[in-house]
Amino acid sequence: MAAGLSSEDFTNLQLLLKAPSKDAVRDVCVQSHRAVSQRLTENTAATFSIPAAQAAQLIQSLHTLSHHVLFYNLTSPEQILAVFPESFHSSLKNLITKILLENSPAWRTEALSRQVSLPQLKELDWRVDLVTGSDSVSRMAVPTCLVQLKMEDPCPSAVGDSISTVTVELSRESLDTILDGLGRIRDQLSAVAGK
Amino acid sequence: MSPAVNGWEAGYILDRSPVYRRNKFNYRHLNAAELVDMQWKLGMAVSSDTCRSLNSPYVSLLLKIAEPSGQISQKALEMTIPQFQNFHKQFKEMAAIMETV
Repeated sequence: MAAGLSSEDFTNLQLLLKAPSKDAVRDVCVQSHRAVSQRLTENTAATFSIPAAQAAQLIQSLHTLSHHVLFYNLTSPEQILAVFPESFHSSLKNLITKILLENSPAWRTEALSRQVSLPQLKELDWRVDLVTGSDSVSRMAVPTCLVQLKMEDPCPSAVGDSISTVTVELSRESLDTILDGLGRIRDQLSAVAGK
Repeated sequence: MSPAVNGWEAGYILDRSPVYRRNKFNYRHLNAAELVDMQWKLGMAVSSDTCRSLNSPYVSLLLKIAEPSGQISQKALEMTIPQFQNFHKQFKEMAAIMETV
């Protein structure tokens, strides 16, 4: 959820000045985006030589900042720099901005893959069989297609497996009907893309 | 040879695994379901709690499937546009092979 940034957050961010290196700043920014955890708090307190309580506040503020950038899709240096108050330490502001810009594309891709959605298509496998004979019809050549779809549910129920599999058999007619439908989707996509 | 089951006659396909024949031209494998209907929707994800402006198009499908038992189940799924394009390509390949076989 996109919580707003407060002046307290920027006060907390200035704790980054106590970082032993730029890489330490980078690490804590990236890790706090994912989750605010006890372990991260402890590691940060140790690395920066600050009390745990301050480390926790720093991580929370970084988390808020990176999610703010993600939510509003701030993609230029100017847009991100504008988020900081005038009084904020200038080189720290530039470093944080650089780190956020570097990581934003990956964060956005990750957010897109995790959003609320129906089960996502994961795999499509298929096989064409030829029915060449049966007990009542000795010679024939009827093609049939077996299709297996694997889907991953991004919000599986507590007990269920997140991957579900569907196997269906398609005759020529069914396949043609499906292709018809898929062709219409393709036409719609072209129409929308053209606008 | 297996006896007729509920009006289905047993037959064999190329690799000798059993198949049940419903009518002269519609063959079903043991345990394979039949796709009865496919509904589709082309949508655009506009916004979410993590990203205010997503602008991410997707295709969703609702498949109606008849299990061998006769029971109808529904499966809904979503795919990205590149996934849909691959999906379409795969189905075209299946049809091409069905044509030549």
